[in-house]
Amino acid sequence: MPDQPTPRGIDPRGPRFAASVTTVLLAVAVVLSLTGVSTAQAGAGFGWFAYQPLANATFVPGTDFAFVAGQGWAISYVTPLQRALDPGFLLLLVVAALFLWSVLSPRTAPWGALFRRFIQPRLAPPSELEDPRPPRFAQGVGLFVVTIGLVLHLVGVPWALPIAAAAAFVAAFLNAVFGLCLGCQLYLLLQRAGLIGRQRPAAT
Amino acid sequence: MTATTAILALAGLLVASVIVGLVLRRRQGRIRRARTAERVDPALLGATALGERATLVQFSTEMCARCPGVRRMLSSAAADRDGVLYLDVDLTHRPDLAKTFHVLQTPTTLLLDQGGAVHARIGGIPGRDLLDLELDRLTGENAHA
Repeated sequence: MPDQPTPRGIDPRGPRFAASVTTVLLAVAVVLSLTGVSTAQAGAGFGWFAYQPLANATFVPGTDFAFVAGQGWAISYVTPLQRALDPGFLLLLVVAALFLWSVLSPRTAPWGALFRRFIQPRLAPPSELEDPRPPRFAQGVGLFVVTIGLVLHLVGVPWALPIAAAAAFVAAFLNAVFGLCLGCQLYLLLQRAGLIGRQRPAAT
Repeated sequence: MTATTAILALAGLLVASVIVGLVLRRRQGRIRRARTAERVDPALLGATALGERATLVQFSTEMCARCPGVRRMLSSAAADRDGVLYLDVDLTHRPDLAKTFHVLQTPTTLLLDQGGAVHARIGGIPGRDLLDLELDRLTGENAHA
C-alpha cells in the first residue's frame, strides 16, 4: 500500500500535449546544435577562420597545440560566452528552464496551462485521471539530461549539445507518440544505481 | 555541419525513434516462464498468506503511469476467480525488494501457484487474454491435484 495519499489526478492528455510541444522544440534544438559551434571543426586545411562566426573571434590561448597538430574543434577556440550564444545552446537553455518549471510547479507550467485553457474545454472530459507524479518525474529526467549537455558545452566539450538534445528528443517523442512511460522504464534502474528512491523506515 | 546534413540527421533520428517505439511496444506484456521453482515468502511482500490456488503479485512505483490501470485489471481478474489473491507491492522506497525480485520495470507481474512458486513473470501491461489463460492453467492444475 502507498505510504502517502495519492495526489489529485490530472487529465492525462495534458502531459501528452506538453510532450508534443517539447518534442518539436527539441527537434529544432537538434538541428541548431548540429549546425552550431558544438560540431564545428577547426581543421588545418581550412584554418579555423572557415567557421564564419569565428572569423573575427579572439584566439583563446592554451589551446594552440590542437591547432598546430592540424585537428581541432572550433569550440575549443571560443570563450564560454561565445559558446553560450550558440543558437542551439540558447534554445536548449529555454527547454531546460521549461523542464525546471514543470518540476517545481507543474500546475503553472506553460504547456499544461495552455492545454487547460484552450484545448481541454474543446474536448470531452477525460475518461480517467492520472497521477501527476510520473509525468513530473519524466520532466526531471529531461532536465537532468539537457543540463548535462549544457554544462559540458559551456566547458568546451564538442558534440555534447546535439547528443543531449537528441537523447531528450527521443524520450519526448516516445512519450508523445507512443505514450511511453519513462518512469515505468527508468525509475527502478535509477534506484538500482543508487541515485533515487532510498529505503524509508517501514511503516507500522 | 551544413543545415542539410543536420536535417538529414534529424530525419535519421526520427526513424530510429519510431523503430525503438515499435520494438518497445512489441515487448510490452511479454510473459516469461520461470525456470527455477523459487518460492516466494508472503511475509516479504507484506502479506500474511498466499492465495489458496494462485497469487497475482504486481510490483508498482509512484512514478508508474501504467500501474493503476493494471491494478484494476489484475484485481478484477483475481476477484473473478475463487482462491486467487491479488497483491500490490510498492517499490518506490524499497530497493531491497526490487533487488530480491529482480524487478527492472513497472508494472511487473508475478504469477504464483498455491505453494508460492513463481510460474511466470509479465513485464509491462499484461494482455487480458494471456492473463486469463495463465490463471486458468494455474487454478486448473490445482483443481486436478
